[in-house]
Amino acid sequence: MENKKTVKVLIAKPGLDGHDRGAKVVAQALKEAGMEVVYSGLHRTIDQIVNIAVQEDVDVIGLSIMTGAHIPITQKLFQKIKQKGIVDKMVFVGGVIPSKDVPTLKELGVAGVFPGGTPLAETIQFLQSISKKG
Amino acid sequence: MELVKKILRGDEGSAARLISMIEEGLDEGYKAVSLLFPHTGKARIIGVTGAPGAGKSTIVDKLAVSYGRQGGKVGIIAVDPTSAKGSGAFLGDRVRMRNAEKVEGIFIRSMAHRGFPGGIAKATLGAAYVLDGLGKEVILVESVGAGQTEIQISMICDSVITVFTSDYGDEIQLMKAGLIEIGDIVVINKADRPGAIEAAKDIEFSLMSSKDQPWQIPVIAMEARKGKGVEDLMAVLELHHKHIKNDAQGNSKKREKMKHLVLALFKEDLWSSTLKKIQGKTAFEEVLQKAQNGTIDPYKAVQMVMDLALTKK
Amino acid sequence: MAVARYIKDEKDQILDVILESGIHVKPLYSPKDLEAIGFSYEKDVADPGEYPYTRGIHALGYRSRAWTTRQYTGFGTPEETNERFKLMISHGQTGLNVAFDLPTQMGYDSDDPMSEGEIGRVGMAVDTLKDFEIAFKDIRLDKIGSGLTINAVASIMLAMYQAVAEKYGYDPKVISATPQNDILKEMIGRGAWIFPVEPAVKLIGDTIEYSMTVLPRTNPVSVCGYHIRESGATPAQEIACAILIANAYIDNVLARGYDVDAFVGRFSFNLNVFGNMWEQVAKFRAARKLWARNLKEKYNVKKPQNLFLRGLFGGGGYGLTKAQPENNIMRGAYYALVAALSGAQTTALCSYDEAFTIPTPHSALLSLRTLQLLMDEMGLRDTVDPLAGSYFIETITKEMEQKIEEEMDKIEKFGGIIKGVSEGYIQRLVARQAFEVEKGLESGELQKVGVNIYKEGESMEVELHEYNWESAEKQIESLRGVKRERSEKDVARSLKELESAARDGKNVMPSLVECCKAYASVGEMAGIFRQIFGEFNEPSLF
Repeated sequence: MENKKTVKVLIAKPGLDGHDRGAKVVAQALKEAGMEVVYSGLHRTIDQIVNIAVQEDVDVIGLSIMTGAHIPITQKLFQKIKQKGIVDKMVFVGGVIPSKDVPTLKELGVAGVFPGGTPLAETIQFLQSISKKG
Repeated sequence: MELVKKILRGDEGSAARLISMIEEGLDEGYKAVSLLFPHTGKARIIGVTGAPGAGKSTIVDKLAVSYGRQGGKVGIIAVDPTSAKGSGAFLGDRVRMRNAEKVEGIFIRSMAHRGFPGGIAKATLGAAYVLDGLGKEVILVESVGAGQTEIQISMICDSVITVFTSDYGDEIQLMKAGLIEIGDIVVINKADRPGAIEAAKDIEFSLMSSKDQPWQIPVIAMEARKGKGVEDLMAVLELHHKHIKNDAQGNSKKREKMKHLVLALFKEDLWSSTLKKIQGKTAFEEVLQKAQNGTIDPYKAVQMVMDLALTKK
Repeated sequence: MAVARYIKDEKDQILDVILESGIHVKPLYSPKDLEAIGFSYEKDVADPGEYPYTRGIHALGYRSRAWTTRQYTGFGTPEETNERFKLMISHGQTGLNVAFDLPTQMGYDSDDPMSEGEIGRVGMAVDTLKDFEIAFKDIRLDKIGSGLTINAVASIMLAMYQAVAEKYGYDPKVISATPQNDILKEMIGRGAWIFPVEPAVKLIGDTIEYSMTVLPRTNPVSVCGYHIRESGATPAQEIACAILIANAYIDNVLARGYDVDAFVGRFSFNLNVFGNMWEQVAKFRAARKLWARNLKEKYNVKKPQNLFLRGLFGGGGYGLTKAQPENNIMRGAYYALVAALSGAQTTALCSYDEAFTIPTPHSALLSLRTLQLLMDEMGLRDTVDPLAGSYFIETITKEMEQKIEEEMDKIEKFGGIIKGVSEGYIQRLVARQAFEVEKGLESGELQKVGVNIYKEGESMEVELHEYNWESAEKQIESLRGVKRERSEKDVARSLKELESAARDGKNVMPSLVECCKAYASVGEMAGIFRQIFGEFNEPSLF
């Protein structure tokens, strides 16, 4: 029991968009799958999100982005992550993401992209696989 | 240890990591706590407990802002319940602390209680040591707030605030009994709601029995969301702080608390290590099955399990 | 998304159907069912145009007037928005529905650091009156009404609409705006809130109070069950929340000493159409009845026309799928049919590509044609409330009414809608419901074509409008231009007046109009509110 690390996840809503149905559904699913979930609340800046990730020492940061601004937001996130020296955090992105942007996001360092409509089981499985690595 | 040095130098990332290590129960983590321990003891630890929805997070948020305004370095540990089935938890208090987040140099950490009894997690005190080592002067601990008596929080805190609202009439009755044991200060939050004054009177009445004690538990009316009553609460906290510093009884109470805490942690460790030893073993499963089938009584089952647990191997 | 739970045996025979609101549908309905529920034509439905308006608010329904079509339009710059407005009007659209970008919705100017990367992305950027002057150029504001899809700063946008109308020479008395202006639903579902509950509701009260005398043709509030449903609520919860939210706004204005009949007739509703079609029809019929009864019995409303539930029934965004996107065209047509069979006065459809992007002109036009087909070709104008009298429809309308009342009771028992929203009770209900739907889809208990059944088919590629950094720059430049040209003295004076009005709890609308006319920016006006009111403290999820 003790040696199996509990996965701790930050579900974050960056920017001004307030559509949080998806983020809240994912948060509930991850909790039910045995993870510890910190939810950022709405209207967060990247600085705030990275600060939360540092203090909470989460294993994973999940961003929910619906406005189409996923590339600039993710870019900014990774800049900040490097600055803060928390490059061990894994990042995944959900929301409205065209598949042509997936390679760009992966290049930036995103480990998984789960656009709206992705089965919850897929996201859960992905996150559980990293607990084995940890 | 490098990690401890970094924490003492004020490195947030290292502090956060050490807290995780304590949560995971890693030996390395406990070693680091031992190294850190001599550097701690400077911070005041203030606990906030009370029923769900009573407004604990909002009060912690406001206290953090007030202490921050006085130039204090503030840390927050917010404990949430782990789901009864499974290991999942929703760490949601932080969302309610958006003002506290803006306080210069604040460190907020959420934590699941992971089945530890008494409203906190096993790692909560360890986390408080870490924040103390990190240089925080005031550490606010928000308990799980599952409604039952949260005795453990009083063991790790210098001052404990118990929060009520008039909404939770029945729970007041349930919790009143444990009040004197746990809380040093009582807050009636949402004081503008109907029934709040009655609730305050009711509680004051039940506190009459503590009249001869050196510390008389004060009852503060608040509307935390609007910031009403925060100054009163700060003033009372200051009084209590002076009281425990000067009072001989305060000191002996602290020693008593520490004893209870060690025993509580010991119980937890004994339980989890013992369970680990026998879990999955056929003999253990057989005993459980026999009890389930009704072929043996539960007392007998416990005897058999104890025998199994105590045999060396 | 999905519509009902089907319990089937191994031969695919349906044993039970459970609608989202919890109603069990029987295989057969007969006069006995009406008898069992004590159905009375006069009391439960009555003729269209007669209390309780179950069959509709107008005696002749679409015979007297077809519905107003109001597709959501507006993006990027005010110039682009103006072009799109004119295009849609030339195609026969009868009302405008303006989309704003997120910085505008959140009360930030285009040059605010918070706005970076979002300027003009999901709607039109509005910084000052100049942007409205461009967007509404050559639009007959006396002839065509405008929905303003904005909430937290709806008061500012309504003031700006008046300012632009006056600038173009229209009397405020003849213009008709429908700002969405429903902040409680933003706190439940869409997240574009700024200020705490009490001042936010007070601002809505201000717009209602102000409109009574200055903007009599304006509908100051459009209560949106729509977004609550999009966020996960059942149809019964959607209507329960909508009625209670409307009541909260009524209470705010009544506390100012007005007669309810003086303002409540201008309330309108924005309700969702996706889901099981029978449940939707029953929902709209029950909603009309409950709203009328609520006003009559709780508020003692006297004038019959003030009891009307007027509204936009449409959209249906959450019903659309990314899988097999052309199916969304058909879905949209069925949703439109539901809206027509339910007697919608105003309607709009989410375009089939809206799950991916802001609608293209082509898809927006397809939606408009879908709506026009029903009215002008398929016979939906022939007779009013054609489903009335159906054993099934009348039975589930009554059942729906009960379900809605149960949901209302639940919220009232918690302490009412204001407390429920402040403390997150409603948000938790809705989020849990959304999660249940998701689990139902994964387990297959809920069915969705293209998603978990009949999955063979193409998925459409999500196509987002390229973010136009150039027009964002241009917008910022234009704001700077306005700031250079405007009289700083007038701006400072009008903002100061706004500040003292807000601080003293006075109606802020007259000051807002003055601020707009002085070319004060949205960010400056909202900034004053932020400073005085503070911000909403989002409740935690669980």
